[in-house]
Order: sequence, then C-alpha cells, then structure tokens
Amino acid sequence: MNTAPLTGRKRNWSPMVIGALAAAAVLLAAGVLMAVYQEQLYSAQQAKSIREQAQILAASVTAAVVFNDQKASQEYVDALRVNPELQAAAVYGGGGRLIAGFARATRLPSTMKEARAATGIGYIDIAVPVSQNGAQVGIVLLRALTEPEERRIARYVGVILLLTMGALVIAVLSFSQAALSRRAQELSRLNARLYEEMEERRKTEEALRQSHKMEAVGQLSGGIAHDFNNLIMIVKGNLRLLRRKLGTQAENSPAGTYIESADEALDRAAHLTQRILAFSRRQPLTPQRVNLSTLAQGLTELIRHSVGEKVEITMRLNGTWSTLCDVNQMENVILNLAINARDAMPEGGRLVLETRDVTLKQPPAEMENENFVPGDYAALAVIDTGSGMPEEIRRRAVDPFFTTKPQGKGTGLGLSMTFGFVRQSGGYLAIESKVGRGTTVTMLMPRDREGP
Amino acid sequence: MTRGGLLLAVLLGLLPGSLNAAPSLEYAVKAAYLPKFIPFITWPDAAFAGAGAPFTICALGEDRFAGKLDLAAAGLRAGDHAVEVRHLAASDSSAGCQLIFLPAGGDPASIREILDAMRGKPIVTVTDSGLSAHGVISFVIENNHVRFDIDDALAAEDGLAISSKLLGLAHAVRMRSQP
Repeated sequence: MNTAPLTGRKRNWSPMVIGALAAAAVLLAAGVLMAVYQEQLYSAQQAKSIREQAQILAASVTAAVVFNDQKASQEYVDALRVNPELQAAAVYGGGGRLIAGFARATRLPSTMKEARAATGIGYIDIAVPVSQNGAQVGIVLLRALTEPEERRIARYVGVILLLTMGALVIAVLSFSQAALSRRAQELSRLNARLYEEMEERRKTEEALRQSHKMEAVGQLSGGIAHDFNNLIMIVKGNLRLLRRKLGTQAENSPAGTYIESADEALDRAAHLTQRILAFSRRQPLTPQRVNLSTLAQGLTELIRHSVGEKVEITMRLNGTWSTLCDVNQMENVILNLAINARDAMPEGGRLVLETRDVTLKQPPAEMENENFVPGDYAALAVIDTGSGMPEEIRRRAVDPFFTTKPQGKGTGLGLSMTFGFVRQSGGYLAIESKVGRGTTVTMLMPRDREGP
Repeated sequence: MTRGGLLLAVLLGLLPGSLNAAPSLEYAVKAAYLPKFIPFITWPDAAFAGAGAPFTICALGEDRFAGKLDLAAAGLRAGDHAVEVRHLAASDSSAGCQLIFLPAGGDPASIREILDAMRGKPIVTVTDSGLSAHGVISFVIENNHVRFDIDDALAAEDGLAISSKLLGLAHAVRMRSQP
C-alpha cells in the first residue's frame, strides 16, 4: 500500500479558511479605516474647535485692535490660556504688528508675516481676520499642538490589539478547523483506498483461484480426454476391422446396423473429447493468418441460418488487423457464440457482430486474467440484446460442464471450448453481461505483426 | 478706518508713552480715536436728516488737531453715511452733528452749557481731557496714554447705544441703569 506523505501534498485551501482569512482581513481593514476616519474626524474637530476659538477672539478683540489697546487685547488673549492645546495665541493689528499674545514653549512671531512663514509639523496655525464693517483691521492667530504620534498610537493601541486578537482567533480557529477536516478527509480517502485495494485483492484472488481451477480441470479433463480419444480410436479401428471381416455380410444384416450405431456413438464421443481437448488447450491447431472481419463476413449467411428470422443481425466489421489462429476453430467459436446469443433471445432481438482494432495497456475490466500482455489486439465481439446473466453465473460461464440450459440441451462445453481455444491462440476472452440488457462476448486475438 | 489704525499703530508703536513731550502727538491720537468711535456706537435713525445725509464729526473751536482729524476721517463711511468733519465756531449751530468734540482750553461754563443743550439729543459728546464737565465720552490721560471714560447712562438718555466692546476698552464706565 502506498501512502503519500502528508507534508508533500499540495495544500488545498478550503473555502472556510479563505472565508475566515477574508473575514479577518475585512475586520482589520475596517478597523484601520475606522481609525483613519476617527483620526481625520478628530483633526477636523480640533481644527474646527480652534477656529471657533479664534473667531470668538477675533470678534471680541475688535475694539481693542482698533484702538491698539494692548492691555485689553492681552486680557482677551489670556482668556485662552486655559486651553492647554493652544501653543500660542496672538493678535496682530492692521499692519501685521503684534498687539498682544502669549506663547508656550515656542516663540511668538512678532509679525503676522513671520507667523505665516513658521508653520511646521506638530502644530496647526489658524488665522482669522479681525474685521469691522467688512474691513479687516487685524488678525488673530492661534497655534495648536496636533496630537503627538505616540499619543495617537496609544489612543488606538487598544483597538488595534483587540482587532488583532480577533483576527488571530479567527485565523487560528479556522486553521485548526481546516487542519482537522483535512485530516478527516485524508483518513476517509485512505480508508476508501484500503477498501478498494481489499476488493481488488479479493477479485484478483478469485480470478487466480478460477484460473487455477480452470487449469486443473483442463489438465484433468484433457488427460482423460486424450486417453479416451486413444481408446476411442482403438475401438473405432477394431470396429472397422470387424466390418471388413464381415464384408458384404454386414450390408443387410442387423450386425451391420449395430456396427453403424456403435460407430456413430464413437464419433459423438470423439467429438466430445475434441471439445474437451479444445478447452484444455491440447487440441492440435493449425494457425493461419486470418482477418477476423473477412472471416466473419464469410460466416454471415451461416449465422443467419443458425439464429433464425426472429433475430436481426448487424455486422460492424471495422477491424483491419490480422491474427494467427486456427480458422476452422475460429469459425466454430463464432458460430457457437452466435447460437448462444440466439438462445439468450428466444423472443428475438438484435445480434451484433463487431470487429475492432484495439491497443490495450491493461486488461478490460470484465476480463479476469492476471497475466495480461499489453499490446495490439484484433477484437471480435458478439453482442446480443438477450436476457443477460447475473454476475455469479457470468463468472462461472466458462467452467466446463456448467450450463443454464435444460438437461440434454447444452453440454456446458461451448464457452469452455471457446475460452480454451482463445487462450491457446494467445488471446483473451471477456464476457460482459447485464440482466435484461444482454451479453457481450469479446475475443481479443493478438495482432499478427507480419500481416497488414 | 484701516489707514487711521495704521497711522495710530505707527505713532504709538514708534513713540510710546511720550505724550507730554509732544502735545501734538496727544491730539494726533485723539484725532485718530474720534472716527474710530463711530462703528461702536449706534445712532437712532432720527439722528440723520435723511438716508443720504453725511455723518458729521464736529470739532468745536480752534482746530487742535492741525488737520489730522480731517486726514483720519477722510474717505471713511459710517454705515450708509459718508463721514465728514466740520469745524464749528462757538456760535455755530450743532445741528447735523452726530459726534461733537469739545476741546479743553475754552470757557468751562460754556462747555457745560453746550453739554446741557446736547442732553437728550442723539449726539455723542466727546469732552477733552482736563475738562471738569464730561460728555458721553471723555478723554483722560493715564500714564502718558490717551484713554477714555464712557458715560453710558448719558448715552442711554440720548438714545445712543454703545457697543460693549468699546465699553470694555474704556478707562471707566458709568453704567446705564438696567431696564
């Protein structure tokens, strides 16, 4: 059993992990967006607040600016000291000169021009004109510290931590979930493969057993048939001698009839032994190069006669490759298969004779043979639309003397003989069948390389 | 107004606290102040002869400002009214004046008389520093700086409204009685 290492496997991201990661990313993005938005809102609010204070100062300090009253201006400006955000506040007169102001940790620009030039990082300057009847009489300048980076970060650090934790929890959970489900999938896959392999093994064992059985039966029956054949030949020879001895005396006497009957019985016995020998692959064969399509074509009429009018015959002869086999035996086999097909279709049906050129790397599924040789094969299939057979019968179909026909109708040697012949010729036999749908018997004969 | 402010700022900025040494500077400041009072005071409509009538600043007696008042008020507007300066002799009528400056140095009795005559009229009386009688606004000198007191009660009597901004700048204020 080959177990692929888990680490070497391509990591497959389950939709759940992707979803969880996306959720975490969205959460983080939302957090960042929220923080940025809050930040901008805060800045805008700060600027707005400072501007409002500047506007209030500008409105109240008008008279003091107009009359250049430094003391009064200073009083107005000093009122803003309570705001710790304000780094500096100043009131400039119409000429841009400083009238009053205060500054914390920074130097107060002595003129408006200087103030404008001094804008920098870390603070914002808000300037609001002091106007009277639409005319500008001065300028109020407020300088506010923008919040330092560290404080801003500190403000968001809690939120960031929470978001990160949330995202982490989601990520970890989904990862572990994915790992679990991956392991479960792996397990069930391995389990399925185990079952598959067990089943395969069972099938192989069965095929092997079947093959051994056939081999044993073949050897046994072949041995018997061989000896039997010799015995028959002796009896037949002696019968011939007896007939010669009787001469004309035998012509019109009961003795002649007895000899005739015995001879006929011996012929039948010889025929039987021939078939057994065929199954046990011990029959003498005279292989010739033959094209199965041509062969089948030549048999069309004979088949038509054999199967009767109820069965419609279709020839699909697409095979071009030749094979080496005993032509007579092959004709027998084809006829046999056609008759089997006819018997499977007592109410009539369709018989298809098909030849094909096939190149096989592994045996067809239905074929139980462990020593298949990959290569080119000339295939001949006999297909019927008959009653078909269940799996357990299909598996025993080539067993010698196994038949489903009523006693006396079949010998149980037809398919056995076919099987023996095909195997003896270096080919394979495959039987597919479905109850109620029909049966397909396919012979795979090795391609004769010398031929076309 | 802007030009006046500029002038004032320059004057005060360059020569701080030396009014005694140059009396002309004292009057220059006062000349700059007089038009500046206008935006902070609201006159009733009845104070003007008509919509197009000018806003008249009247200066009684000899011209103490040596032309600086005319300069400070030149081109100014008070709302819809163009601001103009009129120099009055003692005998001249104060009709058409919205703001009248009563300089020191004259007869105190006649000043008091004029002030009494102005009572109840929508005219802002501005009395010079050193006078014992006081109008709505009276200049005072404090620490060599020109400042002013405001008699808001008197202004109320005259139907005038003075902005709290101006009141806030005043050296002293006599509050009007609360309604």
